[in-house]
Amino acid sequence: MTWETVIGLEVHVQLATASKMFCGCAAVFGEEPNTNVCPVCLGLPGALPVPNAEAVRLGTVAALALECTVHPASVFARKNYFYPDLPKGYQISQYDRPLATGGRLAVESPDRGPITVGITRLHLEEDAGKSLHDRFPGLTAVDLNRAGVPLAEIVSEPDLRSPAEARAYLGAIKQLLVFAGVSDCSMEKGHLRVDANVSVRRAGEAAFGTKTEVKNVNSFANVERALEAERDRQIAVLEGGGRVEQVSLLFNAASGEVRPMRAKEESHDYRYFPDPDLPPLVLEPGWVAAQRDALPELPDAKRARLMAEHGLSGYDAQVVTAEPALADYYEAVVTAGAEPKLAANWVMSEVLADQNAAGALRVAPARLAALIGLVQEGTVSLQAAKKIFAEVAVSDGDPAETARRLGLVQVRDAGALERWVDEVLAAHPEEVARYRAGETKLLGFLVGQVMKRSQGQADPKGVQPVLRRKLG
Amino acid sequence: MTISRDEVLHIARLAEIAVDEAELATLVSQLNRIVDYVAQLEAAPDEGQGDDFLPGPARVALRDDRVRSEPLAHPPAALAPAWRDGYFVVPRLSAMEDA
Amino acid sequence: MTAAPDAVAREVAARLEAAAPLNAVLHWSAGGIEAEARRVAAMPSAGPLHAVPLAVKDNIATLDAPTTCASRILEGYRSPFEATALRRLRAAGAMLVAKTNLDEFAMGSSTEHSAFGRVHHPLDPARVPGGSSGGSAALVAAGVVPAALGSETGGSVRQPAAFCGVVGVKPSYGRVSRYGLVAFGSSLDCISVFGRTVGDAARVLATMSGHDPLDATTLAEPPLAVPETPTSLAGMTVGLPTEYFPADLDPGVRAGVDRVAAALRELGATVTEVSLPHSRYAVPTYYIVAPAEASANLARYDGVRYGPPRPEHEADLRALYRATRGRGFGPEVRRRILVGTYVLSAGYYEAYYGTAQRMRARIAGDFRAAFERVDLLLTPTAPTTAFRAGEKTEDPVAMYLADVFVCPASLAGLPALSLPAGRSEGLPVGAQLIAPAGQDTRMLAVAAALEERVVAAGEVR
Repeated sequence: MTWETVIGLEVHVQLATASKMFCGCAAVFGEEPNTNVCPVCLGLPGALPVPNAEAVRLGTVAALALECTVHPASVFARKNYFYPDLPKGYQISQYDRPLATGGRLAVESPDRGPITVGITRLHLEEDAGKSLHDRFPGLTAVDLNRAGVPLAEIVSEPDLRSPAEARAYLGAIKQLLVFAGVSDCSMEKGHLRVDANVSVRRAGEAAFGTKTEVKNVNSFANVERALEAERDRQIAVLEGGGRVEQVSLLFNAASGEVRPMRAKEESHDYRYFPDPDLPPLVLEPGWVAAQRDALPELPDAKRARLMAEHGLSGYDAQVVTAEPALADYYEAVVTAGAEPKLAANWVMSEVLADQNAAGALRVAPARLAALIGLVQEGTVSLQAAKKIFAEVAVSDGDPAETARRLGLVQVRDAGALERWVDEVLAAHPEEVARYRAGETKLLGFLVGQVMKRSQGQADPKGVQPVLRRKLG
Repeated sequence: MTISRDEVLHIARLAEIAVDEAELATLVSQLNRIVDYVAQLEAAPDEGQGDDFLPGPARVALRDDRVRSEPLAHPPAALAPAWRDGYFVVPRLSAMEDA
Repeated sequence: MTAAPDAVAREVAARLEAAAPLNAVLHWSAGGIEAEARRVAAMPSAGPLHAVPLAVKDNIATLDAPTTCASRILEGYRSPFEATALRRLRAAGAMLVAKTNLDEFAMGSSTEHSAFGRVHHPLDPARVPGGSSGGSAALVAAGVVPAALGSETGGSVRQPAAFCGVVGVKPSYGRVSRYGLVAFGSSLDCISVFGRTVGDAARVLATMSGHDPLDATTLAEPPLAVPETPTSLAGMTVGLPTEYFPADLDPGVRAGVDRVAAALRELGATVTEVSLPHSRYAVPTYYIVAPAEASANLARYDGVRYGPPRPEHEADLRALYRATRGRGFGPEVRRRILVGTYVLSAGYYEAYYGTAQRMRARIAGDFRAAFERVDLLLTPTAPTTAFRAGEKTEDPVAMYLADVFVCPASLAGLPALSLPAGRSEGLPVGAQLIAPAGQDTRMLAVAAALEERVVAAGEVR
């Protein structure tokens, strides 16, 4: 029996604003608990929410980047439930009239190649605070610093067919949002949280199976693992003749298992209704169009352009556009005069390695372009260039000067080469005799000796003809 | 009776309000009195779908994204019924642990 | 009142002392009033409300006095911020002298639903002052303060103003900031004002009105103006909606409103009948919309961030919630939260809340249509004069019907006021004026013109 997995994802992404969604408190991470709060985000009696214009703009930009229809009017609604870190006893969200609906995202599926995933909706909401269950024995500790931070919830259609595909979708959506400037998408800071809906059905069946929801998974790798575990669990249940129950599950990253959340009593009746504190969110069509026009070049378009204009392979284009900063860097190296393919090779190897080690792009694009030029014109060898790169990363010196200072400039001067060759021939009479007797493969040995004598400075391409002439 | 005793208990749970057994009968009858009264709206002549009415501004005015917290005359610790090391604390609810 | 702040402070403290039997006040202290007097005396220049003593309903956030909403669940709660409206009034020189009693969370029409005891009517202690702003109404009627803040959700200032024989003004929704007014029904709530005269009320209203960046439901309009009193109302048309004059209307109330209609004609206005056919559905509409909003607005009282000391034995969070809210809220508040939860719950939302929202639009539409023909509406404020305490506490719906004439303007977000229109069998009668949205000042001008002719009218029947 073969099974098909059907997955839809709800991604909650923190919008990159300075202040919270409905009050002027800073949207920051890592403060002392309950210090970044005010009457509004504490839910004090009499306090009222006022929406953040930048959060609305970033939500709109995200929706446009996802090719959604942004609605001229949307409505904030109250989602009612009790939880200690939910100060008002309701979350301000959007329900039947969200900011945007009907978008799509291109994803490179590891199983199926390029696919398009439908985006059902994107809406704005406020985050809850944090409940810490392990801080004090028997107690839950509540920190409301995060309460009210602006989020966009992005709901996909159930268009994903494997856990690996779900992971690829998350990578694509993260990349899109970072390029669009909507979110930093820092996983450590919890900027991106995922709920996954998953069901299985027998191959060829049209109807969906009963779905379950894996809640609040905090890394892409864990989303994939959690979905694999839940898929396998559902298949085992069905193959054992059982039925899948519609439940919410939690993933235990340590054990790799999913288990049902102990039911939150009555948790399914959120009693949504329009928030009477907030008139409708009305967006002028002209303003929305201006946001669309101002969208930066998004990853897909950028890759296509680099392939068409720079002649990069699909793989190279993918790697150099992994992050906006890297893509900008690559383009700056090319603009500074480097040949695109060579620039891409450097970015994908030395530059990425140095960035991973040092946490920054340390070699200025113009310096790298100059270094690539030195290799191309034969002034330094590729091996030498890597040493020069490492040095420039620290010193920010000029590559040509660095090459000279480190003695890495290749010597092509005929007099110097002849002197080294003469010395080597004099030092190895036996090999010279054997070469002349027909053992021509000894040429390599002799070239090596010249390189050694020159301490690596001789241009190997210049050494060979001189040797041949002298031996001939 | 429009609302049954069980329904009253259900909505009381949704609203997180304890209801004493002793007062339940009175509460059920009062809620039915109220709900039956407001239910006359359903019997009002149907005049088709109208627009919803909103008092006040037709569209929400947005706030600039500036960090400027409204001040608190006294800190959260002074308000909290229970407070420890900078946190509000509540009894732990096992059914909520994982949510 | 143009006396020096310290003299005003002493006088008001003495009057508050004397008015104690009314149980109209929840918090006041001579020291607090003196501090206010010192603050006002130290202001570099005398503001428009210099040294005016003001009583404030205890559901409006104040910095120094507690803000309890007459509820056990907020007993001892001190707000760490001040309501915008009150901040503006104090900046204009007004002195906060007392926090007044109310129906718990402003839910009621008699001020009997206070966790701290009922308020007595100043003219007859066996009767109610109306509600929910009964404490503020009684203090103004008893001459303790010239003006007081109340709040309206469905008539909670106009109805007690009528019962107590003072002026009560509800502004257009969105003209006075709700920031710091403890929410009950957010789409209806308005900080409103009582005054001994139209002028007193108008000055307070003008000072506290205007756009507030902290309340997204305020209109981007400048503050309201204090009206000039016109000497003639020639050219003005006033409508009497037939639905507001049922056959069983209290004859004394009818006589009072008739007297106001006569005064309007004397001033040159044309008085004509109009119809507001959907107003008869206002009370049931209100008792769906307001409880629905209240059920969410009162969810924040969960005992986590503020609230009364915690019951020691609650080892479970859910038990804590249920005990805090079960014990902290009084019976009427609990009923409304439960009704609101019910009408929003799965399967009932459309039948109740959806239907009520559409009816609300029709009620508002009736007013719009009427205001194409007339400039103002005149109705009774309440169907009766002040009723006896205990008369309506057994039947919640009977209590709700005390608001039958005030509730429609609340649903439509319109400015409305109650003007004293003489007395019937010794008890005050109120006449209501309702104006188109934004016409608050014009409505107050008409009331000022009428005031001299009808307020001192004495017995109307």
